[in-house]
Amino acid sequence: MEERTGRGRGLGLRPARKALDPSSSIWKPMRSCPARDPKETSAEAFRERSNPHLDDDDNLRSPNSPYLVGTCPDMCPAKERAQRESLRDLSVFERLNGNPARTSPHLAVKKFCRTISTVDIQESDIRSPPVLQRTLKHLINLVNSEEHPFEVVHDFVFDRTRSIRQDLSMQNIIDDQAISMYEEMVKFHIVSHNRLAMHWGKSDLSSLCHLNIEQLMKCLLTLFKLYDLNRLSRSLHTNEAEFYSFFVLLHLGGKIPKMGDSLSLWYRQLSLPILQSKKMHFARALMRYSQMGNYKRFFCSLEAEASDLQLCLVEPFLDEIRAQAISHVNYSGYKLHPYPLMHLSKILMIKESELEDLCHVCGLETSIDEAGMKALPVKQTKFSLPKSGFRSYCLSAIDDVKRRKDL
Amino acid sequence: MAYLSMGEAHRRITDYLSRFSDAVSSQDAAVLSPLLAVSSNSASLQSLADALNVFQDSNRLVGQLERSSQLAEIVSPLLRCIQSYRLGRFADAYVVLEKAANAFLQEFRNWETPWAMEALYTLALEIRLLAEKADRELASSGKNPEKLQGAGSFLMRVFGALAGKGPKRAGALYVACQLFKVYFKLGTVHLCRSVIRSIETARIFDFEEFPVKDKVTYMYYTGRLEVYNENFLVADQKLTYALMHCSPRKEANKRMILKYLIPVKLSIGILPKQWLIEKYNLIEYGEVVNAIKKGDLRLLRQALREHEDRFLRSGVYLVLEKLELLVYQRLIKKIYVLQKQKDPSKAHQVKLEIIVKALKWLELDMDIDEVECIVAILIYKNLIKGYIAHKSKVVVLSKQDPFPKLNGKPIGS
Repeated sequence: MEERTGRGRGLGLRPARKALDPSSSIWKPMRSCPARDPKETSAEAFRERSNPHLDDDDNLRSPNSPYLVGTCPDMCPAKERAQRESLRDLSVFERLNGNPARTSPHLAVKKFCRTISTVDIQESDIRSPPVLQRTLKHLINLVNSEEHPFEVVHDFVFDRTRSIRQDLSMQNIIDDQAISMYEEMVKFHIVSHNRLAMHWGKSDLSSLCHLNIEQLMKCLLTLFKLYDLNRLSRSLHTNEAEFYSFFVLLHLGGKIPKMGDSLSLWYRQLSLPILQSKKMHFARALMRYSQMGNYKRFFCSLEAEASDLQLCLVEPFLDEIRAQAISHVNYSGYKLHPYPLMHLSKILMIKESELEDLCHVCGLETSIDEAGMKALPVKQTKFSLPKSGFRSYCLSAIDDVKRRKDL
Repeated sequence: MAYLSMGEAHRRITDYLSRFSDAVSSQDAAVLSPLLAVSSNSASLQSLADALNVFQDSNRLVGQLERSSQLAEIVSPLLRCIQSYRLGRFADAYVVLEKAANAFLQEFRNWETPWAMEALYTLALEIRLLAEKADRELASSGKNPEKLQGAGSFLMRVFGALAGKGPKRAGALYVACQLFKVYFKLGTVHLCRSVIRSIETARIFDFEEFPVKDKVTYMYYTGRLEVYNENFLVADQKLTYALMHCSPRKEANKRMILKYLIPVKLSIGILPKQWLIEKYNLIEYGEVVNAIKKGDLRLLRQALREHEDRFLRSGVYLVLEKLELLVYQRLIKKIYVLQKQKDPSKAHQVKLEIIVKALKWLELDMDIDEVECIVAILIYKNLIKGYIAHKSKVVVLSKQDPFPKLNGKPIGS
């Protein structure tokens, strides 16, 4: 439990101060004029051109209605607050002094609503960009709270950030503010991906995991469109390469819901500056090492180059690659030379005791050699990947990696 | 432009209209098709366009056509299209062409026989070509390029009209291929799936019935899809079919097929001959093949770096990356062969340290752990028969066939 705390803080979301400071006088609304024909703006262009499977399903606005300008000053419109108070439909994070029927403007956050008809939307129900930024900041701070189980926090922030995206979409906010907010939301989904994956054995969480990855991919794809829309010269945005690398890294392992085409097809449409950026090269290299089974180079590169968020994303996959390594070592070894676990654990960046556990989980026995060291007798025939996934023995090893980087 | 009299303009237009009308009544697709080929820039269409610019009231002339109402729906927008095209207004031209094409499709559905199939092909092609031009025009003026997407929808309707029982279905494959071209261009390749399903699994079509030309194009596109999805055995079948049945005169088409077939063949361990690479000017693969033959990892990586853009655009980069394992296999085999020459009794034991040295000689920095890792993979994937004695840091090769060929099994599977 303690280690999770450490990691949560270490990988805390650090929003760019400038973007999320509502009092910053630098902020200027940079939206297109609402009177313009929606069909002419590029945002619409992307929505119509893009793959219906990948579109953000929060987009409810019909292409022909004019853009709304939100005026709601609170994180949750007053009308909704009153309604949910009377229905006692308040999340634990929204309750004033724990009272399930009372909230306040500082606690209530607007819910995501799938079935709004565009006729009923009022501008007083939609939050303006500074309010949205304040809301997002509030939600991100909740992620690090320890009071509630992570699934509960995740569920709440998942829903409420979706509502933020809905408000952004209805006002057609597609400028730098949208970019920084989407980047923060992607980070949330990455941290969630990591923390949900750690709950091994709780089968009901795997669907939560799945939904989270789906949402993560949708956010990323929208973010990529935003980068394009805001491109000044041919240069990339500050974080663009890294966020593109997240999309690649999501394809590690087979658990990713197939949301469209293969990576090969996706690469075809990317520009060369993105494909050849350092972050993308790194992600593509990791994919190559993983698919080939080159566990040595995989872990070395990971330690040397991975950013915090990349590590976060990759961590749930590490045991799968370790299991693959064990399988190869078992298959290719010499019967009279049981493989020393200490040596392998160093290469696989895992504690020796945890590597031993992993062998057992994969159906293999371990032994002790003459020198009293733990070893894996090779050429065992009972290797199998555990059906219900791995417990993720990554904690300490990754902490070591991060500590090594901080030095 | 030379001076064009009103009388001459009038004559050209009525001439075109009566040729159109006659072609329909005598069911002559060979005459009808060139009248629809807007982008062909034929002399007669150009001179017609000039006439339309002079004689503004062509609609009245259309109204005088014998089979008025039905043909008018087709011909009126068609004339506007021809005119706009000549003036270089492609987006406008596309919009009216789609109107004309929709009207034509209506009529086509009503005609009992497939006599107008060739004309329908022409329209399908024109719709796609014009939509591409229109989108280029829109994009360059900062507008939303959505015409090609519209073309896709239209072509789907055509496909639907052809996908039934009856003689018209022979044309479905041609239209399917036009759809593939649209989807590949738009990047919405997943939309090909429903088309493929209709062709292959629904019981409507007998694949052998289709014209060879269309089958080749179809196999080319579906073969490419299999490459992207890394189903190399199926990709091999389809692309080989396309190559075998491709007309010998169509060198450019053969090259396009080979561009995808070569990486697939490499994945199953079959190397193309040097003359093939040279004949079709696919030199980017030449270095890859050399690297595999020599076991030179540095050469392979260099080739991938040098042609990275080209390989990524065609989508074969990830396929070629996987060939590293073949290169490692070849390198270790060379070491084995050299050892055999020196001392046959000890040849089957290869020190991992020697492999490290060989790689260092190629300016590749790999430590002994990584080499051990790679050798383990090669053994696991049956590219090497043997085992690794970890304590002695030696790979002991099987005395029989220590470097098995892939034998049609794709690498990486």
